[in-house]
Amino acid sequence: MRVELQAELDALEAGFQEAGEIVLRSIRGVIDALRTQDVELCDEVIAFDDEIDARYLALEKQVEMTLARQTPVASDLRLVLAILHSALHLERVGDQCVTIAKLTKLSSHLDTKRTVVESLVDMGERCAEMVKVSLSAFAARDVQAARGLHQLDELVDNANRQVFHEVLGYVHDAEALEWGMRQITVARCFERIGDNAVDIGEQTAFIVTGEFAEFTDASHDPRPLV
Amino acid sequence: MTSLAHAQPPRRDRVWKNRVFMVAMLFSMFVAFGTLVVLLVDTILTGWPALDWKLFSEPPSTVPAEAGARPAILATLYLGFLVLLLSVPIGVLTAIYLEEYANRSRWWNRMIEVNIQNLAAVPSIVYGILGLAFIVRGIGIGRVVFAGALILTLVVLPTVVVASREAIRSVPDSIRQGAFALGATRWQVVWRQVLPAAIPGIATGSILALSRAVGETAPLIMVGAITYVAFNPELFGPYTALPVQIFNWTKQPNLEFQTLAAAAAIVLLVIVLSMNAVAIFLRNRYRKKW
Amino acid sequence: MTQMETQPHIDSSRIAEITRGLDRSEIEGREKVFSVTDLAVSYSGKVALQDVSLDVHRNTITAFIGPSGCGKSTFIRCFNRMNDLIPGAEVEGRVLYHGDDLYARDVDPVEIRRRIGMVFQKPNPFPKSIYDNIAFGPRVLGIKGSMDDRVEQALRQAALWDEVKSRLKDNALGLSGGQQQRLCIARALAVEPDVILMDEPASALDPISTTRIEDLMHDLKRDYTIVIVTHNMQQAARVADMTAFFSVLVDEEGAARRGVLVEYDATTKIFTTPSDKRTEDYVTGRFG
Repeated sequence: MRVELQAELDALEAGFQEAGEIVLRSIRGVIDALRTQDVELCDEVIAFDDEIDARYLALEKQVEMTLARQTPVASDLRLVLAILHSALHLERVGDQCVTIAKLTKLSSHLDTKRTVVESLVDMGERCAEMVKVSLSAFAARDVQAARGLHQLDELVDNANRQVFHEVLGYVHDAEALEWGMRQITVARCFERIGDNAVDIGEQTAFIVTGEFAEFTDASHDPRPLV
Repeated sequence: MTSLAHAQPPRRDRVWKNRVFMVAMLFSMFVAFGTLVVLLVDTILTGWPALDWKLFSEPPSTVPAEAGARPAILATLYLGFLVLLLSVPIGVLTAIYLEEYANRSRWWNRMIEVNIQNLAAVPSIVYGILGLAFIVRGIGIGRVVFAGALILTLVVLPTVVVASREAIRSVPDSIRQGAFALGATRWQVVWRQVLPAAIPGIATGSILALSRAVGETAPLIMVGAITYVAFNPELFGPYTALPVQIFNWTKQPNLEFQTLAAAAAIVLLVIVLSMNAVAIFLRNRYRKKW
Repeated sequence: MTQMETQPHIDSSRIAEITRGLDRSEIEGREKVFSVTDLAVSYSGKVALQDVSLDVHRNTITAFIGPSGCGKSTFIRCFNRMNDLIPGAEVEGRVLYHGDDLYARDVDPVEIRRRIGMVFQKPNPFPKSIYDNIAFGPRVLGIKGSMDDRVEQALRQAALWDEVKSRLKDNALGLSGGQQQRLCIARALAVEPDVILMDEPASALDPISTTRIEDLMHDLKRDYTIVIVTHNMQQAARVADMTAFFSVLVDEEGAARRGVLVEYDATTKIFTTPSDKRTEDYVTGRFG
């Protein structure tokens, strides 16, 4: 029994889940900011990203140490690799939150359309749920749950398309269009968060099965992107 | 907190036991070493006046002033040479068989082993009786140098075998494995690897055994190293040997013969000790470091 | 000199091998050197190893790993019949060498050992000169030709020539442990074998010497078939193309312990996604 290796793996995994919690706080913050159009909250979310980045760098350093000192193999190696990848996905989710917060600030002086904001908040909730599921599936090595993320992601993609078509209706109102364009980008960001959650799910499957397979092959998806 | 200063003093009876043991050891050493020193010094002091060229050049005589030990010294050298010639090949081949070829799960091989160890413990006078019965009278070659050499060979053979086996066994098995793995036959392994590596050990053991043979008296008296021989020995002729000559002189009432005996004893000691020195030199020189 | 010429040269056919390791089907496409079926070895009636079936392929490095007592060293000694030298050892089952039964009645173990060389755990140079160590094999086999050339070639192949060329007459015991082991490899190469068996060849060596031995194995793979027993799993992972994992089977009373082959597959598979739980537990260090 390699006690030290096991301790390091446990620490890595705990660190990863913590990073996940923090990213989830960022997502919830950005959803609230969107719902209330709260500029101050946006600033908080933006500032909070430093925390996420620090967590990511710590995990990366830890992975490097474990690889160098313990040379894990087989399932241990897969766990370490999966944590490295997934931590990067989490960090990117954090970056998307920052982008959303910035866009929300930028468009705060413009009129908001209730329906679009509601759609976006809805999307955000789904994304938060997806990230949560991806983290719990990772912790439980639950491939079934991880695969389920793909279905959730389709809903997010649909919502993304919906926002796009909604905004198309603003084409004759310049100010509404400006606001709408920004919201399309927000939707796009949420859509990316969903993708990252799916990617974490794929890492879970990699840990368990030892094979990396994308749950959907985005490059061959027959449906239009928006 | 404990410290050495506060540690309990050792119990008195332990200190006492320690001292008693120390004294006992020193006493034993003194007895062993002291006896040897006294013996050597006494022999040298007694024998010194008679230790001259005459001792080597003259045959024994009833006149102490003219007596020497030439035939005995020569016979002892003959015997030593013959014993070496006979015991080493037989002993080494026996050792090779037992170490390299014999299957220890066969009862006869185990029996040979046990018996060789037993033979090494048999008193040499018993070999003398055996030699008298089977060699001197049985084969009927008489009381000649060759018969004496045969008996002494029997006396030292077990020692040579045991020493050679030790030497062969101390060649690490990895050497054999390495040679076998290269496609060598068992004979090639033994002849080209094991034996060359074991030679220093075999030589050391053989020389030590030989120095024992040279000092042996009892069996030679049995197989007729007669006490008065005035001529040089021949392979199949009557002979005497240095120890027998010494034994003979010490029996004489004339004190001058005692001096001669002591001088001859010095010669014998020099022969034996120089053989041992060669053995020790060989052992140290070729001590393997694997 | 252009930049390209200073780059280390990598044979394009080896790029695939280097970047993703050989997979099983590629190795199994190579000629079978050994084909073992239902092998069992016992010492004085006590079974040490049983039910082993596997193939060893040409120009590959095959590693045997497993805990102590799993019979991996016993197994490797079946390939050159070194077990014959142990009284009471019995080998059952079949070992084919290029299709011929190694244990057939008319097969001479001496001839086998000429074709199948062996390097041992502890470097065991003969207490002779470096030159005589190499020359011993060719001499006992009565191989003709220039001995000097043969000695030089063997030492060059073992990457030892430059270190010892000026002192060929010196005693081999004066070499360092790593040099001694490379000498033993050179000694085995001097009789031009087909296969080299290595029984934990680097376990008594320091890390740098170990690396040199491993590099050497990679070089030798081109001309020879190598089988290695190692207790260093990372070494197996580094050098071997195929890896066999042996384990110890303890019977119900806990008295008899025998080795069994658990899994035999491409090394990349064994160390990333082994099929058997016992292999996984062993390679990840969760054994026992």
